[in-house]
Amino acid sequence: MRIRVMSQLQRSLSIELPSLVPLQLPSRMETHLWFIRPDEVKSTSLLKHYSQLLSPTEKEKVLQMRGDELKKNALLARTLVRATIARYQTNNAVDPKALMFKKNMYGKPEVDWQNYTNCNNPPLHFNISHTDSLIACGVTVHVPVGIDVEDKERKIKHDILAFAERFYSADEVKFLSTLPDPEVQRKEFIKLWTLKEAYVKALGKGFSAAPFNTFTIQSKVGTKGEYNLCKMTEMTASSLEETNKCDGEWKFSLLELDDSHYAAICIEDDEASGGAPMRVIVRKTIPFVEDELISESKLL
Amino acid sequence: MASSFCSSIFMQAPISAKTTRFSLQKPVSIFNNRKTNLSFSLHRRSMPARLAVSCAVKQETVEKVSEIVKKQLSLTDDQKVTAGTKFTELGADSLDTVEIVMGLEEEFGITMAEERAKEIATVQQAAELIEELVQEKTA
Repeated sequence: MRIRVMSQLQRSLSIELPSLVPLQLPSRMETHLWFIRPDEVKSTSLLKHYSQLLSPTEKEKVLQMRGDELKKNALLARTLVRATIARYQTNNAVDPKALMFKKNMYGKPEVDWQNYTNCNNPPLHFNISHTDSLIACGVTVHVPVGIDVEDKERKIKHDILAFAERFYSADEVKFLSTLPDPEVQRKEFIKLWTLKEAYVKALGKGFSAAPFNTFTIQSKVGTKGEYNLCKMTEMTASSLEETNKCDGEWKFSLLELDDSHYAAICIEDDEASGGAPMRVIVRKTIPFVEDELISESKLL
Repeated sequence: MASSFCSSIFMQAPISAKTTRFSLQKPVSIFNNRKTNLSFSLHRRSMPARLAVSCAVKQETVEKVSEIVKKQLSLTDDQKVTAGTKFTELGADSLDTVEIVMGLEEEFGITMAEERAKEIATVQQAAELIEELVQEKTA
């Protein structure tokens, strides 16, 4: 289902951008996943409009990127975040240009609501991830979210098992080494990477809070697209073996986006969810121009 | 974001003994009548290497790091890499950074702790960490 927003304005964007179409907030245990394909945004006047939404610091960062394509992608990433979050302010219209951002003490970006005295500001959380050909933004309410996207065809320049042995957990290495087909192994490696990155980003405490080799993510038996997180606990004085503690504190979802990318989402579990899996609403977008609801998100 | 370790003498790596930050302006007499004036212990094997570290890295190290970065990110000739270049400015994501680290480990015969490796943001920082680890290895 494609919703075209004020399509006549697409032809001539020398005038102001149309106002943003407001959105309903995600419900609990639901993630809204938005993505944009940079190669579908070709209009220089649209890009110029986008650049006017950015803060001076953001503009500076965009300009520091080496190369035009990288600059464009950096611009689209900030636009995606601002334009998307601004649409969720159901009570008052929020100007995407006026949104402010800050970083938590570990460097994770979050919305800074200080300018809005309206107590009805929803506790929105977001996280972005980019690749050369796709930029994604995940949005939740009440619970922290982390996302990571990777090109399915991404080639790893090192030997997969050597890489896994160096960085992944022992159980994950074991799993990867049981896969006989190198292509399958590469794909599973990348899926694991996105899941692990999504977790660390959801945690929001920096890389050292959760080194990759201290936790295992594995698919939940009998489900599609659901995963478990198992952490290695410290060796106790009495036991000589490390034990794995698998908790339901974090929920994962892994999907295929646009036939070309893997996307992993991790959110903190809300006790009220009763163990239900995460719902994901996927939409492809070109900010101010169009949204396309992807009705079938392929769970992996 | 990790700060360049040139800005302070003590290392980012966790040190169990108490560390003393001392200023370069004040001359410190290390040995006085064969007794040390330093309040921290020098028993850690790697301490002398740390005290001796200079903040200037070898040009050769910077060049080797740049080569590995260029290869990993498949850079074009017009994407110049200098000591101060940030990996993110070249479009590197976390997977790229980790692959770069693996390439550096192979090239220099060292092992970087994951937390430190992921904090490397520029060619300069990579070169500094490499030289520190190489020095520790040969110390």
